[in-house]
Amino acid sequence: MSTLVGTGALGQRALREAWRTPEALFPTLFIPLFFLVVNVGQAGKIFPSDSTDFLQGQGYAAFQLPATLLLAASFGGSAMFLVEDIEGGYFDKLRAAPVSRTSIVLGRLYAEAVKGAGIAALVVLLSLPFDVRVATGVGGFLLLIVLTAIWSVAFSAFLQLVALRTRSAAATQSGSMLFFPLLFLTPNFVPRDLLTRPMEIAATLNPVTYVMEGMRALVLDDGWAKVGIGFAVAAVICAAMVALNVRTIRNYD
Amino acid sequence: MSDHLVAQRRPGESTTASYAVEAEGLVKQYKSRSGTVDAVRGVDLRVATGEVFGFLGPNGAGKSTTVRMLTTLLSITAGTARVAGVDVAADPDRARRSMGVALQEAGLDVRQTGRELLVLQARLFGFAAKAAADRAAELLTLVGLDDAADRRIKGYSGGMKRRLDLASALVHEPEVLFLDEPTTGLDPASRLTVWDEVRRINRNGTTVFLTTQYLEEADQLCDRLAIIDGGLIVREGTPQRLKDELRDRLGLDAGPTLDEVFLDATGRTRTKAAGDVQEVSA
Repeated sequence: MSTLVGTGALGQRALREAWRTPEALFPTLFIPLFFLVVNVGQAGKIFPSDSTDFLQGQGYAAFQLPATLLLAASFGGSAMFLVEDIEGGYFDKLRAAPVSRTSIVLGRLYAEAVKGAGIAALVVLLSLPFDVRVATGVGGFLLLIVLTAIWSVAFSAFLQLVALRTRSAAATQSGSMLFFPLLFLTPNFVPRDLLTRPMEIAATLNPVTYVMEGMRALVLDDGWAKVGIGFAVAAVICAAMVALNVRTIRNYD
Repeated sequence: MSDHLVAQRRPGESTTASYAVEAEGLVKQYKSRSGTVDAVRGVDLRVATGEVFGFLGPNGAGKSTTVRMLTTLLSITAGTARVAGVDVAADPDRARRSMGVALQEAGLDVRQTGRELLVLQARLFGFAAKAAADRAAELLTLVGLDDAADRRIKGYSGGMKRRLDLASALVHEPEVLFLDEPTTGLDPASRLTVWDEVRRINRNGTTVFLTTQYLEEADQLCDRLAIIDGGLIVREGTPQRLKDELRDRLGLDAGPTLDEVFLDATGRTRTKAAGDVQEVSA
């Protein structure tokens, strides 16, 4: 069986699994929207759109939308399902089948990409009442969805790596906590040049910053160069994580 | 349940291997913080095509490690293993096509329905979508799960899960079926049902490699068996031959049971075994 067919079959199974566990999907949507509402409620008046240059004429919610999307894309539920498969023995059942090892990890990541894109579209739709507009138009909206999906795969692949190496639900769950420092050591409240010097250095070293700025550039129409850098950083991290997943499952004992 | 359960081998598909399972000098070492652990220390096995072969041993003796090496789930430190004539280390995918595997805990995805699980399993073994759906329907009928086919596996009883697991191991009509403790945790009625299925599977030409904690099960089902202890095979033969050998060696009047053969082979007594070997603790 080809890697592509195997990935498709296992991806469909992972999507069914996600659809049948709405309790796992709910926080993915609810928590990021909660942060959007709270952050805009707390800081919206500090940054009025008519006198805040970096908002490019939009409200503060538009500036916050990338952080919301990144948070929504960083729950990595697939890794917890993978640990369940490992602990319950189904993972061995899959490994005992003549299906490419790569398909076993890519199937779940394919499902994460679909889920990530769906959730991103929903988050953007739900943010419309906050006067958010994707200034780069329909094309920009689609690129925003794709960039969110790539990040979703990258972070899920990182958590899958933790799951494959530790085979432990607790360790995998702890791995997901890594995103919080990564998300908050970014220019998520103000642009990088308005951060204090130590925070600016931390944000500059943090790759999530570039993904966030790329998303923000799409929402605020803040330059295609930033969009390109955002895609490049997300793609490199995604490729590295997928490669490590493939290597780990090939050597899995 | 139907008499037709299982793998009906298509004409011309039967194995040409002289042995269904063959292992020579099989070794598995693990690296741990305290040094190297020898889980399996040089196992030689030959299972003839068409046999039901029992693989017994106390907990931690190396049973599951050996089975996992034979089924490509674990790398081999040294030695060779062939299943249906295929070297499992050199050509694992080809070996996987020849074997069905039902491991200790029914490895099922409980969020899927029984039908979805079998269809996916068939797809992974290369069936086209329509053929996979047909094969799943056929197997569901054979294991008596028609009524539950479209229910989530989460709601199945232990016996139903075990039958579904067995069906999923048979989806591609394997030449060799590995069953790792297939009746552990089942009630007596479900256990007997699984025994019947194993016999039917074997009658249809599939070689069965069975590990079990229950010596009665080995006595009932197996043509031949091997006992592993400390990573080495310590006895091998037919259940009757092993009993006769012990009777002659100890000069017993009555024929010993397989329990006594097991205790003798592993150097355990009933008192010592009661603490760590479930099958002889009664």
